[in-house]
This record gives sequence, structure tokens and C-alpha cells, in this order.
Amino acid sequence: MTHSAENPLHHPEVHQASLSGYVANFLITVLVMTAALWLARDNSLPAGSLVGWTSLLALVAVLVQAYLLLHMNWSKAQIWHTVAMILFVPLFVVMIGLTMWMFHGLYQRTAIAMPHQTMAAPMHPAPAASAAAHTVKAA
Amino acid sequence: MFVHLQGPWNPVWGRLSLQAIPYQNPILVGTFLFAMIAALAIVGAVFYFRAGPYLWREWFTTVDHKKIGVMYCLLGLVMLFRGFIDALMIRSQQAMAVGPHSPGYLGALHGYLTPFHIGQVYTAHGLIMVVFAATPLLVGIMNIVVPLQIGARDMAYPYLNALGFWLTAAAAALVMLSLFVGNFAHGGWYGFLPYFELPYSPGVGVDYWMWAFQLSAIGTTMGSINLIATIVKMRAPGMTWMRMPIFTWASLSTNLIALTSFPVLMVSLALLGLDRYFGTHFYTAGQGGNLMLYNDLFWVWGHPEVYFLILPAFGMMSEIIPTFSEKTLFGYATMVVASFAIGGVSWGVWLHHFFTMAAEPSVNSFYSVTTMLVGIPTGVKVFNWIFTMYRGRVRFELPMLWALLALFLLLVGGMTGMMNAFAASDYMWHNGVFVVAHFHMMVLLIASSIFGAVEYWFPKVFGFKLEQRWGKWFFWFMVLGTAWVFVPMFILGFAGMTRRLDYVPVTQWAPYLRVMLVGMAFYVVALGFFVAHLYVSLRDRMKNRVGADPWGTTRNLEWMTHSPVPAYNFAFIPRVHARDEWAWRKEHGMANLGNESFEDIHMPRNTGVPVLLGALSFALCFALVWRIWWLAAACLGLVVLVIILRSFARKTDEVIPATTVAGVERAAQDALASPARG
Ligand code: HEM
Ligand SMILES: [Cu+2]
Repeated sequence: MTHSAENPLHHPEVHQASLSGYVANFLITVLVMTAALWLARDNSLPAGSLVGWTSLLALVAVLVQAYLLLHMNWSKAQIWHTVAMILFVPLFVVMIGLTMWMFHGLYQRTAIAMPHQTMAAPMHPAPAASAAAHTVKAA
Repeated sequence: MFVHLQGPWNPVWGRLSLQAIPYQNPILVGTFLFAMIAALAIVGAVFYFRAGPYLWREWFTTVDHKKIGVMYCLLGLVMLFRGFIDALMIRSQQAMAVGPHSPGYLGALHGYLTPFHIGQVYTAHGLIMVVFAATPLLVGIMNIVVPLQIGARDMAYPYLNALGFWLTAAAAALVMLSLFVGNFAHGGWYGFLPYFELPYSPGVGVDYWMWAFQLSAIGTTMGSINLIATIVKMRAPGMTWMRMPIFTWASLSTNLIALTSFPVLMVSLALLGLDRYFGTHFYTAGQGGNLMLYNDLFWVWGHPEVYFLILPAFGMMSEIIPTFSEKTLFGYATMVVASFAIGGVSWGVWLHHFFTMAAEPSVNSFYSVTTMLVGIPTGVKVFNWIFTMYRGRVRFELPMLWALLALFLLLVGGMTGMMNAFAASDYMWHNGVFVVAHFHMMVLLIASSIFGAVEYWFPKVFGFKLEQRWGKWFFWFMVLGTAWVFVPMFILGFAGMTRRLDYVPVTQWAPYLRVMLVGMAFYVVALGFFVAHLYVSLRDRMKNRVGADPWGTTRNLEWMTHSPVPAYNFAFIPRVHARDEWAWRKEHGMANLGNESFEDIHMPRNTGVPVLLGALSFALCFALVWRIWWLAAACLGLVVLVIILRSFARKTDEVIPATTVAGVERAAQDALASPARG
């Protein structure tokens, strides 16, 4: 069961490899990430939809890599890897969900301005009182 | 593209210049001399005994999980010593620098350490103890024990195993180097934003901290992948999930935590890196940045991390206590469930590290409740251990003493943790020394389990028992030191003392601080006993030789093979019949391994590539710290090149011929039969 002498190149996982798959993965990932970077730098979308779009692009990048690079699929050789990966999804939900919940409340309760406000008035943080007033409305 | 730097920079040396060498600081010069003498002694010994080729062949290039584990433990011990020295400096500074009339030495206004210097000391202390002492020791022990417990001949990825170790070692070396070239971060081990941003911490200290942390995180993640794959894929035939030893279960749970949480740490540090090197604004106070995001991301890793540390310690206790109670572990299934419940809950509690951030009351309440939930599975474990001892024939040998101390510290640490978990009371003492005392109970519990585990498994790895007399002195002085340091610390916590003080303004606290210093003296004595313990054990090693089962009442597979374990672990992969297989075999008269028809054994082959990659990563991080771009680019290029070249290597394995196996097995049997056994 330990290191058997058989040729590792015969393992079914190894046969999932394909040059075109890797190249496609590389190109798509670069494209998606560049698009996200460009969106963030360009900064012309409103904050909410900027977050939405970059998250969507991130999701695309993750799925593409999971499929083309890690070969997560339903084949007999890979199905358990795929299932294991899916079992981790709740962690993402917990982490991102709880973080959003916490920041949502925090923004309402503190003088930290919402992202789009800080962008509109760069450099100097607004005086606490007025910022707090803004924030309450913005949220 | 790069961010503008304050201070000089040139293309050849980056920010490095002679001023970076702190030769004006007598403490550091002394340390440097000590390090040099130690290094010279080691190098001299290596040359004198012509051990170089042996070390390179048998240790540096090894992919044997046991040897890698031993090296992890040695690294952990060295760093434990370094961290202890840091602790001594913190405690003595605080004992000296009390009140406005306390004298100052060596350029400090009070005490003998300037604020900048003691800041580096406590930052290094925290990072080293968590990441470079406890983690390597735990990973090392898992490395040694898990494959043996599941009846495997090595890890799933022996090469990756070596790589993980050398990256960790490179990261530790980077921290050590910061003593003599440049300086270290001085804002606390977990980083402090926006203080750690370039404008406020313009020096290289934060960069050292960041890259060392990052490198060790990569190493630990690799180790966790390896251990998970090993446990899932390499169990001996018959070793079903519910027959797995508890330590292996704990390792599985803990490495699942590591695999899922360390990437978060890497991201949170990488974003800080982008801020510091490219001028982005992830954690700045303005321009769309959010400094609380750092706290959030860091503790998303940070809390699972503390359970990453404690679960293997629980696993060790679960192995030691049954052996020395001469009973099977009480409540095996609940133990498994509790390990995974702790792992799971640990993912939903991280905000308790910043209750005071001003989140909504509902958020704080949520995290209070989840934090307290951890107490349930932990309590289950405590009762299981107690019921294991109940009506057992408890033998107070050294491993058991350490396990019991760990159990006691768990109670203290757990109860005070529960007190922290009330957001309302945490508001009173957050960032105070009460919290510090709480988590030191926890990490001392881990240290105790580690010492117990070392006592327990040492004979398995090296073939002889550690002596008990000095070991007991060591144990009791550790107990004394712990009591004298941390009871006053709890009291001072309630009195309102904040953590990380370089100067203590309240003179009424002086007596407590002095008592703590006495505690440190006990620890120093304990260190002396530890050295004596090792020395006497090594001296008498022939007298203390042992066979496969040195404690007589052990229960799991690792005790079935010879001590010391041969390179291939098991001449025959065992077939597992029951939980506590070894105990089962002893009961059923199947303890004898004897089988004469040995076979060839196929094993991974040693390689120097991991050492090389470790060295290159070290140079890469050094170059990044000092912003020597050409060196960084060259090292990165070489790392990629070496990885590509290695992937073409064909001869990555070798065969141990049956005759060799037969020879080794016979020698082990003979050693057992010989009267040298004391
Ligand atoms: C019963 C389980 C535990 C509970 C309820 C608990 C609770 C807490 C809470 C609420 C804090 C934050 C206090 C503050 O900063 O004001 C804290 C800090 C801490 N705990 Fe625990 N804890 C538990 C177990 C552990 C374990 C097992 C470890 C380590 C192995 C640990 C290590 C730490 C560390 C390192 C910190 C502080 C980190 C820092 O601020 O530098 N805790 N704990
Ligand atoms: Cu925590």
C-alpha cells in the first residue's frame, strides 16, 4: 500500500493533465484577474457593484482553476477530491458572511466612512462628526 | 511601480548598509559573540569528527519522516531557547523599570532596554514561541508518530516533507538574522495596523517579521497537506477510520485547520506586503483602506491557529494517559467527535480577539456564545481523560506527570478563556496581562504535552529511555516557575496592568513583578536541570536501551516495531485487527513480529533539493527585506528553475534489498536479547 513500485505515470490523476487545459487556465485566469484589477483602478463603478463584479470575477477564477488546473470533476479518479473541496465551501460562507455582517455593523457605528465616500474625498479623513452623519445615511 | 522609500537606497545593496549592523548595542554584541562561539563550536566539532559528509547524507538530504521530525524538534528547541531568553529580558526589564525613580542603564531611561528594543524583544518572543518553537515541535512529533501509528513506511510526499521543514528553518534563520543585521518589528507579534504600514514603520523590522511569518506559513501548509494525505491514503490494511489512534485523529483535525486557515494568513500578510512595497491601500486609514480588515483576516487565521497548536497536544495527552493508567482510553468516539467539533467551532470565534473594536452588540454576543461553545467539546475531553484514569493503575512516570500538568493548565487556561469570552468583561482587561496569562496557560499546556510526548516517544525514536531523576527536577522547577510567574500575572491583570509595557508607572505593582522575576529564576534552574537531564540520558544511553515496548503498557502500532525504528518502519506492513492494535496483539499472543521471508522494500531516495530551495528562499526573503531587487529576482528565478529541473528527476526512489532488511531485523532482535538492556 505504501510506495508500490508501479509507475506513478500510470495513475489516473496524472492522466488528467493536458497542455491545452493548462494554457487555457493560464490565459483565462490572467484575463479575469486583469479585468478585476482594471475595474478597481478605474474605479468608475459605484462601490456596491464594484464589489459585486470583482467578487464574480474572483469566483470565475476559482472555478476555472479548480476545473482546469486541479481537475476537480466527477470522474472516478477525482470525485473524492471534488467532494472534499465542496465540503470546504461552508468555511468560505462562514468567513465571508460573518466578516460582512461585522463590518456592516461597524460602519454604522463608527466614524469610518464607507469606501465610496473616502474615495470621493481622498487624503483627509473627514471630521468625525460629519463622517458619522454621512455614514448613517449611506448605510 | 515601487513605493517611495524614506532613507537611502542603492541598486546594488538596496537598503543595506553598515549602519544596519547594531555594533553599538552591547546586548546585541554579546549575543553575537555567544552565537559565534556556539556556531564555531558546532562547526569545529563537525570538522573534528569529520561529520560533514555523514550529516549531509543522513540528515540534511533526508526524506525520512523520522529524521525530518527530529530536525523539526531540534529547530523547535533552539527557538524555544531563544524565545526564553526574550522572556527573561521582558521580565527583568519590567521588574527594574518601575516608577519614576527607577534607574536606567545602557541608554534606557528606566531599566536597561529602550522602548524600541523591548518592542522588538516582545514581538520576537511572541512570534518565535508560536510559530518557530511550538509549531515545529508539534509538527515534528506528528511527523514522527503519525506514519508509525497508521502502519505506513513514510509520509505520502517525502520530498514535500523535507521542503516544508527547510522552509520553516529558513524562516527561523531569518528571524535570527534580524538580531545582527537590521532590526525586528516592534509592534507585537500579530501586527498592528496601520502602525505596520510603511509611513509609520519605515524600517526593515516589519519586513523581516512579514517575510519570516510568510515563509513559515508556506512551510506549515505544505506539512499539513502532507499529513492529511498520509492519514487519508496510507493507512495499513484493516486500519479503518474508527480504529485510528487518537493522536492520528487529532493530527488529522489539526492539519485540516492548518490547511484551511494558513492561506488566510498568507493573504493577510501579502496584502500588507502590497501596501508596503507597491503603495496600495488595503489597510491604510484612508483612501479606501480599512485597518480593521487586517485584524479580521489575521484572526480568521489566528484563532484556528491556536487550536492548530492545541489539538496535537490533546492528542498527546490521549496517548500518554491510557498508557500510564493501564487502561484503554475512555470514550474513544466522543474524543474523535470532540476533536472535530473543536476544529469546526474554532472557525467561528475569531472576533473574540477584538471585541473592543465596537462591533454591534449582536455581533459581539454571537462571538461570545460561539467562543463559549468551545468549552463543551473541551470539557468532554477533560472528563474522558479523568475517566480513563479512574480505577486505572496510574503510574506517575515522567510522561504522565507532564500530561497531568497539562490537564491542570488546561483547566486554568480554559476557565480564564471563558472569562475572556464574555465581551463585557473582556472590555475591562483586553490588551492587559490577564489575557497574556490566559494564553500562557494554554501554550504552557502545549509545552507540557510536548515535553511529555518527548519523554514518551523518545525511546521509540532513539532506542533508549531518558533518565528520570533530573527529568523530575526539571518538571518540578517548571511547575514552580509557572506558578510564580503566572499567578502574579493574573493578579496584575485584574489590577489593570496593560501588556507590553517598557516602563511600569504604578509602583504598587513592583512586588508582583519581583515575584515574577523569582519565577523566572526557577525557570532558569529548570533549564539547567533540562540540560542535565539530556546529558545524563545521553551518557547512560547504553544502560537505558529498550525494546519495542519500553513502557510495557502501550497500545498503538508504533510500539510494535523496533526501537529505534528502522528506516523502513515496518519490515511487513501490519494488518490491523482492532482499535489499540498493539494492545490487542499482546492480549492475543501475537506480539511477536517474527517472519523470516523478508521482501525488498521500496523507499523514497534522499535529495538535496529541499535544502537548496530552503537556502534560496532564505536569500529571496533577505533580498526582499532589504529591497535588493536584483538578488530577489535572481533567487526567485532560481527557485522556479530548480523546481522545474527537479520535476524531471527520474531516480527519486530506491529499493532496500530483502537481505539488508533481514540483517537489520536480526540485529534488532539480537540487541533485544542481549543483557545490555538495563
Ligand atoms: C476554552 C477555550 C478558549 C477560550 C474560551 C479562549 C478565549 C480567548 C479570548 C476571548 C481571547 C481574547 C482576549 C483579549 O484579547 O482580550 C483569547 C486570547 C488568546 N488566546 Fe484564548 N481561548 C481559549 C483557548 C485558547 C487556546 C487553546 C489557546 C492556545 C493554544 C489560546 C491562545 C490565546 C492567545 C494566543 C490569545 C491572545 C493573543 C494575543 O492577543 O496576543 N486560547 N482567548
Ligand atoms: Cu481566540
